[in-house]
Amino acid sequence: MPDPAISIRGLKKTFVGHLSIGRIHALRGVDLEVPSTGIYGFLGPNGAGKTTTLKIVTGLLFPSEGEVRIMGRPAGDNLVRMNLGFLPESPYFYDYLTGEELVTFFGSLFGIPGKELKDRTRLLLDMVGLRGKEKLPLRKYSKGMLQRVGLAQAMVNDPQILILDEPMSGLDPIGRREIRDLILGLKEKGKTIFFSSHILADAEMICDEVAIIVKGKVVQKGRLEELLGKDVRFWDLSFKGPADAEGLPSRHVITSHEGYTMIRLDSEEAVEQAVSELPKRGARIISLVPHKASLEELFLSSIEEREND
Amino acid sequence: MTEKLGALSLLQVRAIMKNTFKEAIRSRIFYILMAFAVTMLGFAVVLSFLTLGSQKRVILDLGLAGISFFSVMTSIFVGIGLIYLEVEKKTIYNVLPKPMPRSNFIIGRYFGLMAVLGTNLLAMLAILSVLLAVFKGFTMAVFQAGLFIYMELAIITAIAIFFSSVASPVLSAICTVSFYIIGHTSSTFPDILVPLLRSPFQKKIATWFFHLLPDLNILNTSNLITYDIPIAEGFTLRALLYTGVFVSLLLLAACLCFRKRDLV
Ligand SMILES: Nc1ncnc2c1ncn2[C@@H]1O[C@H](COP(=O)(O)OP(=O)(O)O)[C@@H](O)[C@H]1O
Ligand SMILES: [Mg+2]
Repeated sequence: MPDPAISIRGLKKTFVGHLSIGRIHALRGVDLEVPSTGIYGFLGPNGAGKTTTLKIVTGLLFPSEGEVRIMGRPAGDNLVRMNLGFLPESPYFYDYLTGEELVTFFGSLFGIPGKELKDRTRLLLDMVGLRGKEKLPLRKYSKGMLQRVGLAQAMVNDPQILILDEPMSGLDPIGRREIRDLILGLKEKGKTIFFSSHILADAEMICDEVAIIVKGKVVQKGRLEELLGKDVRFWDLSFKGPADAEGLPSRHVITSHEGYTMIRLDSEEAVEQAVSELPKRGARIISLVPHKASLEELFLSSIEEREND
Repeated sequence: MTEKLGALSLLQVRAIMKNTFKEAIRSRIFYILMAFAVTMLGFAVVLSFLTLGSQKRVILDLGLAGISFFSVMTSIFVGIGLIYLEVEKKTIYNVLPKPMPRSNFIIGRYFGLMAVLGTNLLAMLAILSVLLAVFKGFTMAVFQAGLFIYMELAIITAIAIFFSSVASPVLSAICTVSFYIIGHTSSTFPDILVPLLRSPFQKKIATWFFHLLPDLNILNTSNLITYDIPIAEGFTLRALLYTGVFVSLLLLAACLCFRKRDLV
């Protein structure tokens, strides 16, 4: 196993209010490892501690306890940062600059020489769908455009690791799909993508691995197919023929219409029995569809568990 | 690789300076303050007609005073937001995760504003020179005085950026303005306040304390310039040294305070 791209151990963060009054335990011991390839989704409801974690990883905040290592080195290490790209949550930029100037400015912080930087800026702005808007001041950008220029600046150093805080927020459905495709493209190039989201549909489509954080603690983590594949919740079986499911275990007729019937079965034994029994009764099986838990269900049940803690 | 990061630091500071410069010249407040300063120069000319003394002298004195005042205003009011607003507006979230120490950001911001103030100052001194030339009173002392104004700006800006890295703009403004006032009056404290104390011990302590206060009057050349007294080279060097040490210490303090700050 190669070194993880990012490893977070026992991370705690407590915010202390003014005059030390009031404490908010934003992170209560977060552990996770982002492998060096693929897309890692960091999911959780609002206020769970996603942004706080990412800000510690990028060195904007300092942990109260615990440790973050990126490619084996401490967070905030400048050599590591050479290979890091970061998109903050609903990013804010110098609004007196144009899109082009902004990306160029961030590129110059990596010491990318002028000509190369100019070409790369063009390429990146094209890539995030801002062609023709390069010369427009950011003051005139919409929220979605800011998100896009934010992605462009995060990629200006062609980083190995990209950390994106809610990259799809503020975008319309088309924009979301474009960003999803862009992230998938980055994965193909062998990059590590660690992104946070509270929108599960986006995550479910692209993540290889996820961690679910609730109230400052990771409650579920692992490869998506394993987490969801652990339990098939039920099977839908459709057949043509006599609409007689009488005598089949766990039978639950969903529809029955013009000789077609669909029944829902909730155990493997029930499926086995139905599959052997139905043909004997003169029915022809058309389809058997297993339904796994969706990420949403997993998410909601994780939250519930933690709430009841 | 470490050397490479060292060379990179220079590029980064330069990039941040350049960006700070752009920010200023694309903002409205900069032009408002400029307009005030130019109005002030026009006002100096008008007043010079109404006074009995030498017209050139009045334009020179009032002109320099006005330039100094508005430069200090720019320094304070841009300076106090230099770091604070970047955090407040969250624009800093994109900058600091880049491969550089936080101190590069502070230093780049500082010298960026100093570049703005320098350009601004040169423009105003040029206008003043033209006005003086019209009244056949141009003197190189204008630019000598300019150097001293610039040194004062260097100190005030360093104070402002120090407060900006730890406090809100209102608090920073109060502290920086207080500093400015104390800086200009502290040299009179020993003469005025010490005689009010009774015991010699108290007097000694007070005198020491007053010596520790910043003294901006050592950068004040207006009397020398008004009365055409040449400024000694040693005097200029001492002032440069004082400014250099003061600014370095303040920037160091700002960087140290900012190094481990949580940017929430
Ligand atoms: N600067 C701060 N001061 C106090 N509490 C904070 C601060 N930043 C975040 N929090 C709290 O920490 C928790 C986690 O916030 P955050 O990391 O922003 O969550 P998420 O990004 O998952 O929505 C929330 O309860 C939030 O109110
Ligand atoms: Mg967040």
